[in-house]
Amino acid sequence: MSATISRGLDRPHEWLMAVIGDEDTVTGFLLAGIGDASGGAHNFLVVRRGSTSDEDIADAFRRFTAARADVGIVLITQSAANRIRHLVSEYRQAMPAVLEIPSKDEPYDAAQDSTLQRVRALLGIRER
Amino acid sequence: MSQRGGVPVVPSRMALTQIKARLGGARRGHAMLKKKADALLVRFRGLLRQILELKEACAVKLREALFALTAAKYAAGEDLKHVIQESVHRATLRVSTTAENVAGVQIPCFECRQRAETPSLAEGDTGGEGHGRALHTTYAGLGKGGQQVAASREAFRAALDAYVRLASLQTSFIVLDEAIKITNRRVNALENVVIPRFEETLAYIVSELDEQEREEFFRLKLVQNRKKRELEKRDAQAAAERARRAVQAFAAFDAAAFGDGCSGGSERLGLLEQAAGHDPELLPL
Amino acid sequence: MEMLTFNASDGYLEAMMRGLRASILTASEYNNIMQCETTEDIRMTLNGTDYAPYLQNEPVPLQTAALVTRLTERIVSDFAGIRSSAYEPLATFLDYLTYPYMIDNLVLLITGALRNRELSDLIDKCHPLGMFEGMGTLSIVATPEELYRDVIVDTPLASYFVDCVSIQDLSELNIEIIRNLLYKAYLEDFADLCARRIGGITAQVMAPVLGFEAGRRIVNITLNSLGTDLTKEQRAALFPHVPNSLDAEIVHLLARADDEPAVAVALDRSPVFRALFQRAADHPERSLEDEFFEHEVKLLREAFDQQFHYGVFYAYFRLREQEVRNLVWLAECIAQRQRAHLGKVVNIFG
Repeated sequence: MSATISRGLDRPHEWLMAVIGDEDTVTGFLLAGIGDASGGAHNFLVVRRGSTSDEDIADAFRRFTAARADVGIVLITQSAANRIRHLVSEYRQAMPAVLEIPSKDEPYDAAQDSTLQRVRALLGIRER
Repeated sequence: MSQRGGVPVVPSRMALTQIKARLGGARRGHAMLKKKADALLVRFRGLLRQILELKEACAVKLREALFALTAAKYAAGEDLKHVIQESVHRATLRVSTTAENVAGVQIPCFECRQRAETPSLAEGDTGGEGHGRALHTTYAGLGKGGQQVAASREAFRAALDAYVRLASLQTSFIVLDEAIKITNRRVNALENVVIPRFEETLAYIVSELDEQEREEFFRLKLVQNRKKRELEKRDAQAAAERARRAVQAFAAFDAAAFGDGCSGGSERLGLLEQAAGHDPELLPL
Repeated sequence: MEMLTFNASDGYLEAMMRGLRASILTASEYNNIMQCETTEDIRMTLNGTDYAPYLQNEPVPLQTAALVTRLTERIVSDFAGIRSSAYEPLATFLDYLTYPYMIDNLVLLITGALRNRELSDLIDKCHPLGMFEGMGTLSIVATPEELYRDVIVDTPLASYFVDCVSIQDLSELNIEIIRNLLYKAYLEDFADLCARRIGGITAQVMAPVLGFEAGRRIVNITLNSLGTDLTKEQRAALFPHVPNSLDAEIVHLLARADDEPAVAVALDRSPVFRALFQRAADHPERSLEDEFFEHEVKLLREAFDQQFHYGVFYAYFRLREQEVRNLVWLAECIAQRQRAHLGKVVNIFG
């Protein structure tokens, strides 16, 4: 683990932010300027109903968290994260940081957030 | 007493000082680690609350941003999102990491970095995949909806800023969680294994040394007694010798009795000796 | 003159237009939609309108992105129905209505070509009204130059490209500048078509509409280029010049405006824009863009007041477009729980 942390600390470096989610959320973040396509690889995935499979999402998640070394933060909408929940909850690395963000079309449910679950458990807040 | 769970050591004064020093070190280390664990925990508790709060704030910001984008699409047309997606080239917004030190634990901290919106031509885009100038989205919505596009860009940047702060907190959370676990493991190891072991060893050495001391004392007494006995024996022998010589001396004057003096004399010698033994002061006479 | 001949070839279609106009959602229907709690409720409400067949196959829950696509399908089918029975010069007039979409599509394709994207993947993202014949050959196109030589030259927009965008510009000018250059050329050409080649009542009806459209673009381009590195010469080059638009003097002032107050000063000379600017300033919850939409709807509505002209076709499709915008806006507000903003929609027929 120390190795993954020190990855961020060794040298001052700039990291990309990657995003996985519905079209509007992704578009918005791209508009903000996080989009990157250098080397032909995109750092975002638009999840479309019907045409994006769970495997596509899992692939993108693995690509952003493991395969690519230039990603510092991965933003993933909750509905996308729910489709690959096992990967997200097993993910314990500090770098890159994985953040669950609300999905546009569904209300945000903090109870499903992997990190928040850990936080709440540690704070002793039990859900309902 | 046997050496059960203790450190393998030869019970000696030197070992005693050594173990004492090590026990002291372990106790000091324990106290310090305990302090570190407490410091981390204080930070950690604060962090948990902050994460919960910021997560809510981020969600609100993102909701605003999404709605701003909706307004931009209303004004500029649905086509906007395709243009934005297809224009992606180089990230102008990235994050950098710096390390913060909390009680000796390195915590990565993210910070948003904005790059120049228009990549200058001098920057030298590699090969034909450049066109940074042709495709940056500064002018998106120029003919209609530009202000709404700009507003939603700002809103998403604000949301992103908040999420970058959240990412720092969350990373700290994971690193601190791990660090606290390690520290607690060390504290527990010191508290429940290392320190008791040293204490036991110490007790063992002390008891061993006591034992040695008692043995020494006993041996000393023994030797003393034996020496005393030997002395007495020697004294007694010396007295007997003197007595014998005295008897011999008397016998020289009683030559007649010399013949049977050996038999009768010995009886008298025994008496004399007995007398001298009881009162050695008389013997030299 | 037109009263004698118009109905011979175009009377049927004009009547159809006026019939379809009756199906444009009314204020009470908007009110019903505003009461909805979910996008599914909106689907239920729309089931009572002639959008029903377009929505029935969408999976639950109805997503706003799907709503856009389905509602647009309806406009496309209306358009195809009209276009297929149109005679010249109405057919040409109708074709001109598709050019703005074609410009957007071409700009998207140029963007993809600059990014080395597989252009055939982008066809799904193109607006269906802006499809053109060369679309089928896109898979063999790789570079912007090829796109220009093999595709663009065969589109009706080729002449606009010749006038204002060279092959070299494709990879050097910002894509939004190209888009606005093309749109300027289109608008000027369209105004010319109405005024000169068609003329008559159509010219009378279309003049204020296109004039406003041009003025609105000039104002928007000015406002949106403030604070960017777009030079004033570049800005002025994007201004469409059509009759009945802003006075030359105002346009000149706008071309030189440095900040928003300067724009306000310039627009003070135009009664229409001054009023719109003022209303947007007075109502913080409304943007200038909202005022533009509202004023445009008002102008388009007036196009139905006269008979024997093509303006109704333009007006009908523009109004439908506004209707889609309205519905999507309502659906977004409801889906995103931003009900406070429901009132932004423009009622089309009181």
